[in-house]
Amino acid sequence: MAEHAAHHHEPGEDVVFGQYETIEQQRESYIVGMWTFLVTEVMFFGGLFLVYTLYRWKYAEVWHGMSLHLNFWLGGINTAVLLLSSFSVAWAVQRAQVGDTKNQIRLLWFTVACACTFLVIKFIEYREKIVHGLYPDWAYQGLPDVEFGPSRLFMSLYFAMTGLHGVHVLVGIIVITTLIFMTKAKAPSISDYIPTEMVALYWHFVDLVWIFLYPLFYLIPA
Amino acid sequence: MAKQFEEHGHHVIPTRTLAINLAWLMALMVLTIVAARVTHFLPTMPGNVVAMSIAIVKAFLVVAIFMGVKYTTNLAKLFAIGGFVWFLLLFGILIDYFSRPWEPVKGWEPLPSTSLPRTPGVDE
Repeated sequence: MAEHAAHHHEPGEDVVFGQYETIEQQRESYIVGMWTFLVTEVMFFGGLFLVYTLYRWKYAEVWHGMSLHLNFWLGGINTAVLLLSSFSVAWAVQRAQVGDTKNQIRLLWFTVACACTFLVIKFIEYREKIVHGLYPDWAYQGLPDVEFGPSRLFMSLYFAMTGLHGVHVLVGIIVITTLIFMTKAKAPSISDYIPTEMVALYWHFVDLVWIFLYPLFYLIPA
Repeated sequence: MAKQFEEHGHHVIPTRTLAINLAWLMALMVLTIVAARVTHFLPTMPGNVVAMSIAIVKAFLVVAIFMGVKYTTNLAKLFAIGGFVWFLLLFGILIDYFSRPWEPVKGWEPLPSTSLPRTPGVDE
């Protein structure tokens, strides 16, 4: 299979690297590798979700009370924005598979625009919380109707979990933008749709985390 | 067209499938907001169950369709599912917090056993 190695290929032709037998085997390796990384990400967020569950169980009433102070409309808009971006990035992968680079790049830009919108809305929310003295540092003021200590714990977890998620959104913007420029420049490392697929898997994971964060912080029942 | 969608052994998901998936996700999002904030008819436990069930269904739709796990190879499926199985196993740790009072340890009696932080003046 070495005849198919990277150095002699026409545009649009599949490039099988030397260590693989077939293009299918090569693609499977990339996808499994990406999922392995995503499993480590599940573990990374998993610990925080565990801490969240423990304290919500202990301070159920405070958690509900604090949840009412988060703007669930803004959170809802952000959920819709991320779902839409997941759709656009999945569509971009499909365009990459059929070799429609022009629309692939358009859809990737649209995904970046959604990611930026998400961060702008998140910034508005953070700002509102900080202005109201709800940032859980030494100046934390709490709320008159909820117990002070546990309420600060809630805000700590809110900033830690949505903040870590926000960092992932930021990384997503950087990665997708890099992919766009590399695709435009016809970089040799981008020989098929696989890089787009892997970036898309990461982006869907970011959406996935938010799907759980939204009801867990904004929609806590009484 | 069918040939184009299956060439080279990878599955090209039709735009229609992606659009329907998005529509379901949006509908479920509206449903979860209505159930939690607009109607106010659900008590605590059913409210939690409904919110988490909807989130799990949404996650399933993203993983199966958008991430293409439904169409991928068995090995990739194993890795994808493995991650979420591990996530469920992690929550087994909570059994510890739940079961400590079952076997009281000498010296712990005055306070309910917990590994949670104590609130000075309240717990002590």
